[in-house]
Amino acid sequence: MIHCFQYLVYGLYPYTSDKEGPVNDSMPPDMIWRIDDFQIDPSRPLYEQFVEQIRAMIAKGQLAPGTRLPSVRETAASLRVNPTTIMKTYQELERLSLLVTYRGQGTFVTNEEAAISRSRRDLARTAVARLEELAQSIGMTLEQFIALAKEEE
Amino acid sequence: MDHTITIQCTAVEMSFKKKKALHNVTFAAKSGSIVGLLGPNGAGKSTLMRILIGILEPTAGTVEVLGRKPGVETLGQLSFLPDRGHLPNWLTADQWLGYAAGIYPDWDIALEREWVRKQEVDRSTSIGTMSRGQEARLQLLTCLSRRTKLVILDEPFTGVDLLSRERISSAIAEETADGDRTFLIATHDIREMESMFDRIILIGDGTIKGVYDTEKLRDDGRSVESCYREVFA
Repeated sequence: MIHCFQYLVYGLYPYTSDKEGPVNDSMPPDMIWRIDDFQIDPSRPLYEQFVEQIRAMIAKGQLAPGTRLPSVRETAASLRVNPTTIMKTYQELERLSLLVTYRGQGTFVTNEEAAISRSRRDLARTAVARLEELAQSIGMTLEQFIALAKEEE
Repeated sequence: MDHTITIQCTAVEMSFKKKKALHNVTFAAKSGSIVGLLGPNGAGKSTLMRILIGILEPTAGTVEVLGRKPGVETLGQLSFLPDRGHLPNWLTADQWLGYAAGIYPDWDIALEREWVRKQEVDRSTSIGTMSRGQEARLQLLTCLSRRTKLVILDEPFTGVDLLSRERISSAIAEETADGDRTFLIATHDIREMESMFDRIILIGDGTIKGVYDTEKLRDDGRSVESCYREVFA
């Protein structure tokens, strides 16, 4: 029974479903990063921005659960960024349970529903906090601010 | 010897006759990092690089490269791309690479093949007919095809087109991923390189104007470019 379940999970990974045995690092990733995937502000810590933006991609479903990500080396080369930055980014996303690394297989977007909904909630909270700040700057509560935006001319 | 430091300069002085080219130059480059040497023309970057590769002896101060005083031994353990350097224009890329494989004992044919493919260099092209971008890519892959721990690049982007610049910086990022290569790069192309540097050394009028870890700069809300402007403008 447990074995069946594992097969189902594995079935989500493209490239592995039609192959037997574990995949290895020479397998191509499911996607490659392109420099246009990110908007980077050069005066803020880079890894923070990569974490935020990849997290948002996972929350929005732009990066599907189970997607195999390019290695640190491939990512550093395609984004033309210091490899340490990418390593820190992947580590932080692993800490947030959004990425999982299997030794010898690579780094994948988590299949864990809970971790993804947590990231959606965090995304919502950050956006709302920003909105609240903006509302306060003109002396309004968040609710008043939203009401104002919905007001008809 | 400290294995975590690839380059250590302490109070380096360099004078040519009466002219002082470098004054009290002190900095370190950690192993496996990408270090940018930034500054206006005539700041002393090329002089400093010539000292590091061991073809110029400083007037005073100490220099350690790969754990020893720069000289013949260290020169054999590093790759250097000189500013405005040219490859023999009467050879084809293939002939040049064959020649390089013969003179460098640490030449790695597998690395050469990989980089020729990734840098899209056509082996049959004669160097004399190459564009600046093509020649720059061939020069870089000559540096990368050797198994050297230290790669020193003096202005690798001058006169190089956008796509070749991107290919070159992409190769540099990839080559540091395993953590055993250190890059020291003098460049004016700050925008292309700023997200690659671990550390920047700002040099002007032969003196060090500042040494910064880039992630620390960004923690304080500053970019490499704004820091450069504050120091030199």
